Amino acid sequence: MNPGMPQKLSLPGVKNVIAVASGKGGVGKSTVAANLALALRMSGQSVGLMDADIYGPSVPIMFGLGMVDPQTTPFPLEKYGVKLMSMGFMVDPNQAVIWRGPKVAQAVQAFLGQIDWGDLDFLVIDLPPGTGDAQLTLSQSAPLSGAVIVTTPQDVSLIDARKGVRMFQEVKVPVLGVIENMSYFVGDDGKRYNLFRAGGGQKLASEIGVPLLGEMPIDPRIAECGDTGEPMVRKYPDSPAAQAYLALARRVIATSATPAAAPLPEVQW
Amino acid sequence: MANDVRPVSLKREGDGLKIEWADGVTTFATWRHLRASCPCAACTEDRAKPPDPFRVLTPQEVAAGPAAPVGIKTVGYYAYQIAWNDGHDTGIYTLEHLRKLGTPVTHGN
Ligand SMILES: Nc1ncnc2c1ncn2[C@@H]1O[C@H](COP(=O)(O)OP(=O)(O)O)[C@@H](O)[C@H]1O
Ligand SMILES: [Mg+2]
Ligand SMILES: [Zn+2]
Repeated sequence: MNPGMPQKLSLPGVKNVIAVASGKGGVGKSTVAANLALALRMSGQSVGLMDADIYGPSVPIMFGLGMVDPQTTPFPLEKYGVKLMSMGFMVDPNQAVIWRGPKVAQAVQAFLGQIDWGDLDFLVIDLPPGTGDAQLTLSQSAPLSGAVIVTTPQDVSLIDARKGVRMFQEVKVPVLGVIENMSYFVGDDGKRYNLFRAGGGQKLASEIGVPLLGEMPIDPRIAECGDTGEPMVRKYPDSPAAQAYLALARRVIATSATPAAAPLPEVQW
Repeated sequence: MANDVRPVSLKREGDGLKIEWADGVTTFATWRHLRASCPCAACTEDRAKPPDPFRVLTPQEVAAGPAAPVGIKTVGYYAYQIAWNDGHDTGIYTLEHLRKLGTPVTHGN
């Protein structure tokens, strides 16, 4: 093994660790991570959600939880049947945590290594946005079975998403697919309307040869749910957005069902 | 997903790539065919357009001669990235794609 690489932690009870990544903030990565985790849970899987976005933790608000006393409350917490861990349970999210890269990596390593996640089918990790050192360290130290990249239809975020894909390729984490968020909205007439030029997520997905795992509609209720502590997929399970998330969960389950494959052979030159 | 059949070995052989698959099938695809089937977005877009009879080869293409790889590396657990002698290297060939591009070889050696 490369001596410069951080130690890979092992999570023996966890079958699949899925990182949710994005090239930049604000594309809906945390929304996707939370709804995907719940959709997996609603599909009968045992699920954990780890908020690795130390600077902008959003799991507490999205799940209607606040700070707890770490001396008396064992982690992970649990809500709606999903095991949860976030920096926001220990530090007031409004007080910016100004930590440097190594400290962030340390905190996240502790989340992974020192917390008893128990037996899980899926541990979903909400990665910090971007493709810097913190993300790289995390991708190297967490035993990731795969990553999904969240993007929006605008080209600018596609450029960022491509960087994310490259990062995972470098650390040999398979990219399970691309999720295009805020792709379209469903009008009162039940029809689909594109807001931006369509097809960005598909373009990225075909360029890197991975599936487009899902196209998630825009729905103002998603933002409302994010603020009121019950993610969309659970609160409005019949909405088009929730249906899209349940379909996404089925795809992720199908993609992950095979046991971790052996590395590919090199080409004999 | 379609990553069902995995390769056991990949060899450069003659003017192409020979792959032995875990299900016992061996396939062969010429470099020319692989290059022409590059799955990257730019090439996919180009193929979607009607062929241009007056297309001029780029100087790089002319200098490169017949398509040949200058490097092939694994991408995660699901694909290979081929760098070509014409300078193009953005194509990531998934196992599924490679399997489809190859022709089964009967006397595999
Ligand atoms: N599909 C969507 N429709 C409507 N609002 C959305 C959608 N996805 C995300 N949002 C909202 O956009 C904002 C940013 O989303 P968030 O998940 O926090 O992004 P990130 O984690 O990438 O920074 C939040 O207010 C969220 O509720
Ligand atoms: Mg976020
Ligand atoms: Zn190409």
